[in-house]
Amino acid sequence: MNLQGAIKALRAETARPAEVGERELLARIERRDIHAFERLYRMYQPRLARFLTHMLQRPQLVEEVLNDTMMVVWQGAGNFRGDSKLSTWIFAIAYRKALKARRCWPDPLEDEALNSRPSPAPGADQQVQHHKLRDALVGAMARLSAEHRAVVDLTYFHELGYREIAEIVGCPVDTVKTRMFHARRRLRQALPGDLADWV
Amino acid sequence: MANPGIDEQPHDEAEALLPWYATGQLDGHDRAIVEDHLQSCLQCKQQLFLERRMVDEFGTLVPQVENGWTKLRESVVVPAQSRRAPLLQSFADMWRAATRPPVMGFVAAQAVFVLIAGSVFLNVERPQTAQYHALSSGAAPAKANMIVMFQGNTTEAQMRGALNSSGASLVGGPTAADAYLLHVQANERPQAIATLQSDRQVTLAQPIDGPSG
Repeated sequence: MNLQGAIKALRAETARPAEVGERELLARIERRDIHAFERLYRMYQPRLARFLTHMLQRPQLVEEVLNDTMMVVWQGAGNFRGDSKLSTWIFAIAYRKALKARRCWPDPLEDEALNSRPSPAPGADQQVQHHKLRDALVGAMARLSAEHRAVVDLTYFHELGYREIAEIVGCPVDTVKTRMFHARRRLRQALPGDLADWV
Repeated sequence: MANPGIDEQPHDEAEALLPWYATGQLDGHDRAIVEDHLQSCLQCKQQLFLERRMVDEFGTLVPQVENGWTKLRESVVVPAQSRRAPLLQSFADMWRAATRPPVMGFVAAQAVFVLIAGSVFLNVERPQTAQYHALSSGAAPAKANMIVMFQGNTTEAQMRGALNSSGASLVGGPTAADAYLLHVQANERPQAIATLQSDRQVTLAQPIDGPSG
């Protein structure tokens, strides 16, 4: 085993159990194991679909970009060096694919921005307020740039730290904080009523 | 963001970190900055409630996206098939021929006979007389060094996928016991066997001429 291989193996040993499982799948994918690839696909499809839906704002493009992303994983499994979490590597690929797709399809369609499903609310008043907030957020997200939407989605939904987000989007951590700061301001401005109405 | 009574620098620093404080993604140092500041800043306390509300609300935005696995699988598997087209086409032809009702009946009768005779596995020398010759190839066929058996409900596509994953080539079969004879490079055989054994449709995968063959 060469030095790079030894480092890779050491990192795999110190990774968390779930991460180890994913890396074992990746090793099998490197050996062209289609069943391992299907398992990894099904593990990541819901998260990537959500991330790409927010970034692209075009539902009809999501499946295509998602599959392009996973095709890179299939073809380039051996390129994963183990410097980051596997999820960080895959999301970074998806981020770059989404930015590239948006260069071809630059105009967001706000009315198709998110085909979202409301969660049940216990009371009528709460339900109305929930729908108002959800609609306001969907509209405000559609008006943000793709780069800002990526940071918001990775923070609020995927619950990633700012350092990992910086790795995914390929920018300094301070840029992530700044993007999030401005995105939050825009989201807050989009909420009807005062801040106190929502807390 | 001028606000009487608020020290701007720690306030800005803490406020910028609030989303990640709300999701529990800060390390000890950052968390201490936020918690110290929250003790004295009502504005950030309110903002923290809003951040938590945002996390909850974003969790309910569920996009409806088609699962594209079937398409992706086609684009991954088809190129692999085209590289091995002659062999796999022959394999498909063999499968179709072997699963015709008269042939299946014959195979079943043979299998019963084999079981009664106490012979679970086929004779390893059998490939010498049952070797498969590709129609388009005049080269001598490779000697079988692995045997594989599949579950009865395995489709031809699943068998093809299993063989593709293992990297093995089909040499012969189906035998009377519904086994298939495969060939793979000697140094790749342990991995090929491991790959086949991990396949749910595979009931048996083992070497047939010693560990190094």
